[in-house]
Amino acid sequence: MFETFRNIRWEYLFDLELALDSLPFLLQGLQNTMIISLFSMVFALLLGIVIGIARMSKYAVLHLPARLYISFMRGTPLLVFVFILYYGLPVIGIEFNNALVAAIVGVSLNFAAYNAEVVRSAILSVPRGQWEAAATLQMDYFQTLRKIIIPQATRIALPPTFNIFMDVVKGTSLASVITVQELLYSARLVAGRTYDSMTMYISAALIYWMVCIVIGYFQDRLEVRYNRYLSK
Amino acid sequence: MITVKNLKKTFDDTPVLESINLEVKKGEVVCLVGASGSGKTTLLRCLNLLETPDEGSIRIGDKEVSFGEDKLSKKDIKDIRRYSGMVFQGFHLFPHMTLLENITQAPLTAKQQDKETIMKEASVLLEKVGLSEHQDKFPDALSGGQQQRAAIARALMMHPEVMLFDEPTSALDPQLVREVLKVIESLAKEGQTMVIVTHEMNFARRIADKAFFMDEGYILESGPAEQVLTDPKEDRTREFLALLEDE
Repeated sequence: MFETFRNIRWEYLFDLELALDSLPFLLQGLQNTMIISLFSMVFALLLGIVIGIARMSKYAVLHLPARLYISFMRGTPLLVFVFILYYGLPVIGIEFNNALVAAIVGVSLNFAAYNAEVVRSAILSVPRGQWEAAATLQMDYFQTLRKIIIPQATRIALPPTFNIFMDVVKGTSLASVITVQELLYSARLVAGRTYDSMTMYISAALIYWMVCIVIGYFQDRLEVRYNRYLSK
Repeated sequence: MITVKNLKKTFDDTPVLESINLEVKKGEVVCLVGASGSGKTTLLRCLNLLETPDEGSIRIGDKEVSFGEDKLSKKDIKDIRRYSGMVFQGFHLFPHMTLLENITQAPLTAKQQDKETIMKEASVLLEKVGLSEHQDKFPDALSGGQQQRAAIARALMMHPEVMLFDEPTSALDPQLVREVLKVIESLAKEGQTMVIVTHEMNFARRIADKAFFMDEGYILESGPAEQVLTDPKEDRTREFLALLEDE
């Protein structure tokens, strides 16, 4: 055990020069990471809202498919789902001409299920009295949802939604295994060429972290805005 | 204005309303009194169909619905609700809106009048309930009494024929009760038809025309408020009033 530690070669921990040299190449990969991330966040959120509301419907034709969808997507690994899309579907004659599109579809559909649950729990957490007050003021279901419930539910949904957004960014790394040249793929290419896996993967990790810090910054700003009606 | 016939309601096999008959005339102020669990809040909530009765019928204004065989249509519910405004024990203001937004939201959504008329009316009403200077504050920044007065204004904005009050002062600190009762009393003077569930007996004696004493889902006694709340015929009513006096 101590032998192992004594043999650690600290000088190989992080090669700053290599990191800086390869940074432009990694940032090129980051472009694809961001493309998949942003599209997936938007699609997963929109789809999640629809599925979440369907999940709460009293009509079985709406809530049963929503339940099944959420159950399947939450119950299967994203990587497996992406494999089904990219390697499985061509077998039956459906082919994505672009691995990037397959990645966006896979990540969006998968995270939509998590968003749906966040939407559902946020809407349920708005007190029943809000629905009743709106009903006695002659507002209908969708007016109430739009004007009264969703603004309040949004405040509650912000932290978990941003958790999901960060998971989306990190989840896009799985696109590297279906040949999308995104951040992790780029890091792996350099690592393969230079044999310096440590430096390259640490670099990739730091870049993912930076992206998530920026996302966290937006979360903070939105939380301030949506909490302004509460007295301290 | 309101006619209720043979209303019956059960929650999971427990009867909460039994053969309720009552009538409220235009301009009348009616109080529902009785112990907790006697069914008075449920009865009030049936009047705007927040609860759906199992049997019987309700007529408000020109709209009549009966319960039992057919499921109520959305239109029936909408038509009935058009006649009434409701004030809740827990206020239920919209926390993400300022007071002004709170009271103008529903009329603006309904689009029955143009925006200018609505805003003008809102400022008149806020003045009337004494909240003009607070119109841009959020509910969370106000006292319970102020919130409840705003909730009354919010309901009045829809010009209801009948105002329904569900224990409007029960959630308030004692020193805030008066300001809310004063607003309700001024409405009574203007001839607003009202149905009020309350434990404030002195208030009820003062402003109500009629009182209904409810006990275990039945209307046990009804009549002129002064008589029912001062010199009731039924022993149960007498016991209930004596219990309140003790407090």
